Amino acid sequence: MQEKVREKIEELQLQFQQEINGALDLEAVEKLRIRFLGKKGEVTALMRGMSQFSAEERPLFGKLLNEFKSSAEQILENRKKELKEKDASLRWEKERLDITLPGRPFPLGRKHPLTIISEEIEEIFSCMGFQIAEGPEVETDYYNFEALNIPKEHPARDMQDSFYINPEVLLRTHTSPMQVRTMEVMAPQLPVRIICPGKVYRRDDDVTHSPMFHQVEGLVVDKGISLADLKGILLLFTREMFGKGRELRFRPSFFPFTEPSAEVDISCIICGGSGCRTCGDTGWLEILGSGMVHPRVLEVSGYNPEEVTGYAFGIGIERIAMLKYGIDDIRLFYQNDLRMLQQY
Amino acid sequence: MKVPYNWLKDYVKIELSPEELAERLTMAGLEVGAVNVFAPLGEKFIVGRIEARRKHPNASNLQLVNVDLGTEYLEVVCGAKNIKEGDMVPVALPGAVLPGGAVIQPTEIRGISSPGMLCSSGELGLEIAEEKAGIMLLDLQCSPGEKLINILPFNEPVLDVDLTPNRGDCLGMLGIAREVAALTGNKVLLPPDAVKEGGEEIEKLAGVEITAPDLCSRYTARIMEGITIKPSPLKMQFRLLAVGIRSISNLVDVTNYIMWETGFPMHAFDYDKLAGGRIIVRRAKQGEELVTLDGIKRILDPEILVIADSREPVGLAGVMGGEYTEITAKTNRLFLEAASFNPVNIRLTARKMNLPSEASQRYEKGVDPEGAVFAQNRAVRLMQETAGGEILSGIIDKYPRPLRKRKITLRKSKIREVLGYSLPEERITDILTGLSLVVNRDRKGKKANISKSSPRSPGEVLFQVEVPSFRSDLIQDVDLIEELARIYGYDKIPVTLPVGVLTSGRPSQAQRTIAKIKDTLVSCGLQEVITFSFINPKIFDLLQLPAEDMRRDAVKLQNPLTEDQAILRTTLIPGMLQILQYNFNRQTQNQFVFEVGKIFFPPWENDKLPVEKKVVSLMMSGKKPLSDWQNSPSPINFYDIKGIVETLLQSLGIQETRWQEAGLPLLHPAQGGKLFLKGKEAGFAGSLHPSLREKLDIKQEVFLAELLVEPLMEASSLTPSFRSLPRFPAVFRDAAFIVSRKVKADDLLETIKAHGGKLLEDVTLFDVYKGKQVPEDCLSLAFALTFRHGNKTLTDEEIDPVMEEMAEALQKRFNAILRKT
Repeated sequence: MQEKVREKIEELQLQFQQEINGALDLEAVEKLRIRFLGKKGEVTALMRGMSQFSAEERPLFGKLLNEFKSSAEQILENRKKELKEKDASLRWEKERLDITLPGRPFPLGRKHPLTIISEEIEEIFSCMGFQIAEGPEVETDYYNFEALNIPKEHPARDMQDSFYINPEVLLRTHTSPMQVRTMEVMAPQLPVRIICPGKVYRRDDDVTHSPMFHQVEGLVVDKGISLADLKGILLLFTREMFGKGRELRFRPSFFPFTEPSAEVDISCIICGGSGCRTCGDTGWLEILGSGMVHPRVLEVSGYNPEEVTGYAFGIGIERIAMLKYGIDDIRLFYQNDLRMLQQY
Repeated sequence: MKVPYNWLKDYVKIELSPEELAERLTMAGLEVGAVNVFAPLGEKFIVGRIEARRKHPNASNLQLVNVDLGTEYLEVVCGAKNIKEGDMVPVALPGAVLPGGAVIQPTEIRGISSPGMLCSSGELGLEIAEEKAGIMLLDLQCSPGEKLINILPFNEPVLDVDLTPNRGDCLGMLGIAREVAALTGNKVLLPPDAVKEGGEEIEKLAGVEITAPDLCSRYTARIMEGITIKPSPLKMQFRLLAVGIRSISNLVDVTNYIMWETGFPMHAFDYDKLAGGRIIVRRAKQGEELVTLDGIKRILDPEILVIADSREPVGLAGVMGGEYTEITAKTNRLFLEAASFNPVNIRLTARKMNLPSEASQRYEKGVDPEGAVFAQNRAVRLMQETAGGEILSGIIDKYPRPLRKRKITLRKSKIREVLGYSLPEERITDILTGLSLVVNRDRKGKKANISKSSPRSPGEVLFQVEVPSFRSDLIQDVDLIEELARIYGYDKIPVTLPVGVLTSGRPSQAQRTIAKIKDTLVSCGLQEVITFSFINPKIFDLLQLPAEDMRRDAVKLQNPLTEDQAILRTTLIPGMLQILQYNFNRQTQNQFVFEVGKIFFPPWENDKLPVEKKVVSLMMSGKKPLSDWQNSPSPINFYDIKGIVETLLQSLGIQETRWQEAGLPLLHPAQGGKLFLKGKEAGFAGSLHPSLREKLDIKQEVFLAELLVEPLMEASSLTPSFRSLPRFPAVFRDAAFIVSRKVKADDLLETIKAHGGKLLEDVTLFDVYKGKQVPEDCLSLAFALTFRHGNKTLTDEEIDPVMEEMAEALQKRFNAILRKT
């Protein structure tokens, strides 16, 4: 009798084995599970037919059937897992992207290199408490020259060939008129601490001169301001702008509206001072003009030169941009070749 | 100012090399641009004496010249005719390199070998007067075999000093020598100026009268007679050549030489051509004429100061002499002028006559009248050496307004105030004295003559400084302080960090708005450009602006560089179009750019200065997206540029905007309009007029916009206030309306908003359809509406009536038909 029981279970096992080998997808496996292990499946049917076995046979039958059930469950589970993995890898293969294809381009505009430099300079000085002043690009002879100690027919006017609108009005040749305009408004308040960026104009046109260019003027007036303070502020500026290791060199010079006056060189940003083509083997690059505000300029602007002193400086933005970006022709800034502008 | 190094050594002892000297001068404010070598020459050029000459057997125009070289004789072939036995000449030996680069080698000329070459000045790289035709004749003490470089100033290092306009005193070698003396502590060596006078009293031959003392502060004259005009000695010619002055004749060369030496310009007249032997320094009469040395007839006016004889002008004072009275080979008596003129007047005349000269350049910067007599004496002394003759007794010296010595008081403490460091008193005195200033120290200061405004503590050390006449640039105490710093060394100025009351450096609202505009446009993919503020006046015709367009009323430049930069721009569009063409011609088809800059209009009635306004301009042309393999690029259209303008307005917090269709001259008649902010016109946007595009030869559509910054600023709010977030859900409805194409979307939107009432939170247009589903002259506009109530969830029953009313209103006003979905 026991043989009969075993026979029955073996038959079931054999059948399951055959079917499972033929189940090639998850769906078929599920069908198989329902067919064998489901509520109305083979195992349930056999359970129900237990009565045909004798009382002695029943425990053995039950035990064997349960063994089959749990091993079938295990096999089905394994098969499912196997198929799922296979499925997923198929799917991933189908959904695979070439991640080296370019991303969707988002148009990127850029600021003009002169704006970039100007904003950088403005940022450095405004963080040190300098207000940003702006003034007219068309100026009176008074503010552009007279008030700055450059009377009519002074040879210093040769340094700045001007565009005139009429004998009394011209395109400003420097941002220095803003020194006087600012002081006139501020006097007698102290301190005066401004920078003034803007366009300036001179009748020149070649590789190093453009009829329109940009400057930043700086002005500080207070009690006890000295040339040493100017050196300090310019050293701070230079190191922010060109890096920590930069050194400054002051050379005596002449501007009618400052006394004493100084040209300021920085140690070459290319070679660091050892001498190269950019600095003409001198190790130094001229970057700005500066000096102590001339007593007469203070006086016409409403300050008493015996009580206050001040310094002023003028930075050429193109000059800085040319040095920083290695540009050798000033006219490139105004050609507006998009292939050039989009490099910044 | 060119400064030959060895010439400078005549006036001051120099232990520094030319390069070291250049560095010292540069660091003292006399910037040396370069040190160049004048007349470079090698060692293989030596002095030879012509011993004998014979005809070349095979060439009639050549001769064989036997030269004594001291240790040997050489026979060379020579073609020049100006040599004779006994002449000293330069000989180039084999291996010598001519300045032109050629190397001398023994050669055979017409069958005769020539082991060297006699040199002309030209072959030696010199432009010596009257030697062009032949071999250079050495007119100085020398013996055969000497090296040429040892007897003449070849290889002279010349310092090129870029003088600042305040240092007119350094336009003479003596001025530079004074600087060197101050820097090195050595003494200035004045050249000899003793004169051996003879013959008649000068007053008997000539008189000088100054009728314009405001323009001529001093006029001195000397007369020489019996002079011989010939070329200058080679050494003088060399020196003049080294500083860029061509040698003319011995007398004229001396006037130039003395000018270079002392900085004092001089002029020599042929005395016998001066009518009446009189000189009158006066203003020219209107229409008077003078033919100047350059052969050009000049028409004069009373602004011009002239040197006249009793008949007519004989020279433009300080600028150029007259042709008739110039020194010629026949001149026997010479009238020598050394005068001091008004700098401004000379500058005006030189400019009016377009005659900038070495003399006028010096007068413009101020010539020290006190130097006149020294210059006179130096000059006649040198002239006598080279031209012989006699110097008449006495000197004419008219000096109507003698210079007063300037005195400056310097507080010792002021030095520290200005420089940030102080100097020992001895050092101060030494430096100022070294610069030829006279210094008196005054510790008590009782007699000190200082201004009332100058505060002074008791016991303050004062320096009373007397300024020499040649330093007219030293006027007040700060000028002296600069001298101290300059000589002591700018490198010794300490570095101090800024102290003082804190100030805010934050950019103003206006500046932040500009920054925001730029940042937004850059984020939108636009490239910033900067174009010139001046434009071509002809551009307005090209832009088809009507005669009454205010943009035509531009500010004109009096002296533009070129006609296409003759006026100040009244719009940035011309610059944009220039960029468009420039880049289009360089194969850049996609151009999305903007500029923020000023435009200019003529001043208001009583104002002096033009009106300046900031504007922002946009230009877009090409395709978008730039290069995307997922989407094929399609051409930019009006809505691209409008979208960017709208984004810009949004970023500035501007809400009330209105667009109005307007036929603008430079825009497509049907594709452009004006922008209004709070009812104020703020600018325009549109498509460039097709005919304009054609004229510019641009094959693709171009879109432009220009906005005034001021109304943008007025309408903007950079700090928006917070609106609390909704607590109840919204209800979304879409509605499409069929309307005639003439109906404007903005009008529909306005009506929708008006009838949506408080419940309508938002409405956006999301689709425009034309095609089979709608009649031909109609469009379907689809809107997405968002309804929301602040305190409850809305139901369809509440929204349906609103929608119906809205549809009704649209139907009534625009004949709009609600599309059934």
